Amino acid sequence: MSLYEEVKVHGYAEFCKAVSDRKGKDIFAYFSGNVIKMTTSEPTVRGEISHLPEGSVFIYCQVGQRDYWKNPNNDFKKTLKLSGVPTLLRYGTPQKLVEEECFKANLVRMMFTED
Amino acid sequence: MEWLHRKYDYDLVVIGGGSGGLACSKEAAQLGQKVAVLDYVEPSAKGTKWGLGGTCVNVGCIPKKLMHQAALLGTAVKDARKYGWKIKDPVSHDWETMAEAVQNHVRSLNWGHRVQLKDKKVKYLNLKGSLLDEHTVRGMTKSGKESFLTAKNIVIATGGRPKYPTDIPGAMEHGITSDDIFWLKEAPGKTLVVGASYVALECAGFLTGIGQDTKVMVRSIALRGFDQQMAGLVTDHMQAYGTRFAWGCVPQRVDKLPSGALQVTWADTRTGKEETDSFDSVLWAVGRAPEAKALGLDKVGVEVNRETGKIVVGADESTSVSNIYAFGDIGEGRPELTPTAVKAGRLLARRLAGQSTQLMDYDNVATTVFTPLEYSCVGLSEEEAVGRHGQDAIEVYHAFYKPLEFTVAERDASQCYIKVVCERGGEQRILGLHYTGPNAGEVMQGFSLALRCGATLSHLKETVGIHPTCAEELTKVSITKRSGLDATVTGC
Repeated sequence: MSLYEEVKVHGYAEFCKAVSDRKGKDIFAYFSGNVIKMTTSEPTVRGEISHLPEGSVFIYCQVGQRDYWKNPNNDFKKTLKLSGVPTLLRYGTPQKLVEEECFKANLVRMMFTED
Repeated sequence: MEWLHRKYDYDLVVIGGGSGGLACSKEAAQLGQKVAVLDYVEPSAKGTKWGLGGTCVNVGCIPKKLMHQAALLGTAVKDARKYGWKIKDPVSHDWETMAEAVQNHVRSLNWGHRVQLKDKKVKYLNLKGSLLDEHTVRGMTKSGKESFLTAKNIVIATGGRPKYPTDIPGAMEHGITSDDIFWLKEAPGKTLVVGASYVALECAGFLTGIGQDTKVMVRSIALRGFDQQMAGLVTDHMQAYGTRFAWGCVPQRVDKLPSGALQVTWADTRTGKEETDSFDSVLWAVGRAPEAKALGLDKVGVEVNRETGKIVVGADESTSVSNIYAFGDIGEGRPELTPTAVKAGRLLARRLAGQSTQLMDYDNVATTVFTPLEYSCVGLSEEEAVGRHGQDAIEVYHAFYKPLEFTVAERDASQCYIKVVCERGGEQRILGLHYTGPNAGEVMQGFSLALRCGATLSHLKETVGIHPTCAEELTKVSITKRSGLDATVTGC
């Protein structure tokens, strides 16, 4: 039995569609760049995923290529106000973990479990 | 230390998660102490509540400064036309847009504090804390469920809350306080602000600035405790700027009309007459009361000042109970300011961890009142200086100046003023600096460092000003009050 729904998307348009298709749900979104050499915080986030609230949604979003991300006018930066990747956020709330914070299991768990 | 039997659950338990409590607990944790902080917000009479961070973050400094900025921008937009910008008349303000943006920022700060505490390994408990005994804190949930924590040291940093008048029928049922104003979903409309503290004037100031019909009701004087000449300039400006003032008036009752509006009846002590008027909102800004009543202080023997209700504290923030400390707004005689609470909290944490003996220095703390014409000061007021040293031993240099930006904007600068209070003899050490004008806080911060370093009048006069600024006028003062000469600055 899965307590939460996981959705994988690429790019801003797909992300927006995934969100609008799930109105009213508790949505957690993890934004990742195309990491080749960098260490990813994905294992940390996935390690805490069992703590997601029941009925919530976890969107794993690849933001796109490096030059797209570097452009300060890209939709993620302009509209979603992302300042860096990776970012883990709770959609529609000020709850956000950015970059190094995503590597800290206790912070990820706090976002998934506390109000 | 694992092999030693841990006598207490925590090295330090802090009751109160505001500016002081958070700074103290984080510093203590960083120094290796096992720390827990309890924060709990009792909803206001109107039901307003908020998250972690205390008064400053939620219902004080932060939302206040943002709304003050909203008001200043309104004035700037009007000035802009004179500078060539083509802006359609009339310019209007939307409360909902401003409130949502401000509230969202505050919520991001609540979250930021949660992350910081977790990251620094401070245990955060959303419980109402009170003392059971010198080493035990009781934490209570909203539903009344109790839990207990034992601690080697306990710190009380519970701050204060706005007072409601107790003798005015309808005050609590129909009025709001600063706890509510920043969280209103709709504009307060025609507002009566009762009080003349900086809270009252700042709120009345930004409400006027965003277009609300605002009246301030003052019993006696404005900005009690501040330099009264400067207080007069602040209120003169507010009156010229559109805030109505009812001096020497005392509210007697508040009734709700069938229309939903509030009818306020008051006594004008100057005419002896009774007056009434109706308002959409009544904001009580008549003082703040310490959050000390429900702490169980008398049971444990923590001494409280009978008159103020605040905790009696020593220079090291100690109370009458050896392992219990108190600081911030809850401390008797302490400034009700965030930066002093933060600094005192950090120094206390260092002393408790045995890392330092340094005490908090509460002298020469600069502050700013964010009224439409801002007022900043550091050191003594003119009255205090005269009181301590005598009129003959004091020299007051002053100047009425005009900010350059006001010229093109055709703005009245009658209340833009600077005052340097110093010793008359010897090196003429500066005792106090006072400034009304734009960006008052930014102007004063650097000068407060100068005061800390023992700046004298010569130091000030030898300092070359940055041109063209308002701040440079402080370095150019030359006319004394004693001379009786015109203190208006002429162009360069």
